[in-house]
Amino acid sequence: MKGFEDLQQLWHRQTPEPNVSFDTILKRIKESKGELAKKLFWQSVVVAAAIIVLLLVWVAVSFSTWTTYLALALTMGCICYFFVNQLADYRRISSSHSLLSKPQEYIVYLQEFKQKRNRFNTRNYMAYEIVLAVAFGLYAVEMYFSVPFWAFITFLLVVVCWFLICHFVFMKQYIKQENARIQEMIDNLGRINKQFHES
Amino acid sequence: MSNQRILFQQLFDDNSKRVYHLCYGYTGDSDAANDLMQETFIKVWQHLDTFRNQSQLSTWIYRIAVNTCLSYLRTAKRRATDELNDHIIENHTEEPSEKQEQVALLYQSIAQLEENERIIITMVLDEIPYPEIAEISGISEGNLRVKIHRIKHKLTEIYNRNERV
Repeated sequence: MKGFEDLQQLWHRQTPEPNVSFDTILKRIKESKGELAKKLFWQSVVVAAAIIVLLLVWVAVSFSTWTTYLALALTMGCICYFFVNQLADYRRISSSHSLLSKPQEYIVYLQEFKQKRNRFNTRNYMAYEIVLAVAFGLYAVEMYFSVPFWAFITFLLVVVCWFLICHFVFMKQYIKQENARIQEMIDNLGRINKQFHES
Repeated sequence: MSNQRILFQQLFDDNSKRVYHLCYGYTGDSDAANDLMQETFIKVWQHLDTFRNQSQLSTWIYRIAVNTCLSYLRTAKRRATDELNDHIIENHTEEPSEKQEQVALLYQSIAQLEENERIIITMVLDEIPYPEIAEISGISEGNLRVKIHRIKHKLTEIYNRNERV
């Protein structure tokens, strides 16, 4: 039968010690800076390439209807909006001082951040889906006037089927999983927050 | 070597062991504890220029360590389990001594506490002064003393129960 003082003595005689050296930490600091920069660089390259391709199409191809130009503009808008949001998030994470707040406040920050990310990953994707559907619809006007009727119907069927599959299979599944995951985190954080407030 | 690096090395040498204990007590897993300790010191480095002497540096580092531990839960569903005892022993020696088994049992018992209790008791075991623990955990000193009394009793009870099994 041991008392707390015995446990304290035991604690001071323990052998488990960190096996991470100071140099390893410095190396990780350099790597983590590089990783983020690299990730941002490649995302920027992909977004820039997509925008350039769309602009080239805009300039090089002479479309017969204004609806196609509007479709291109909507698609470019979607890509830019997504990228700007990603960039803003990276900046918010790296400059966040919430880490230095009291644990209770930090937990609230984590809850809000996760909820916001969840909204971005679910509701905003839904908005992209709608805008892209509108863009394809507008492009369909061009197709109606420029391709044979059977090709137009095939295009419409493929696009509609693809959107239905994305919406009712992939998107629903993703949102369900994402919501369940976030809810578990929020519940856990709420439980811990309560522990810090209890008397 | 720059001044910031010298200061950082000093901070690491002075605090890494205690931060590791805190992370180990919280996660009950040596690998996760090493990861969290690394993450803590990376954040310390990133925020070092924002330190304004409003508290002791060690308190400031502990606060970052506690918040880093709290965020661990949101990214990993890992929980300390009763298998911890064997895990700690496996990690450190093939034939555990009686003392090592007792330490493992102590960590196992800490893992059975609630999250905030693990954080507080690890600091108590490391003999961090109560006012500093109160500042780190954001709990008033009076409330903290009551909590510590309760946690000490709970931990001792759990340890003795586990020892009998």
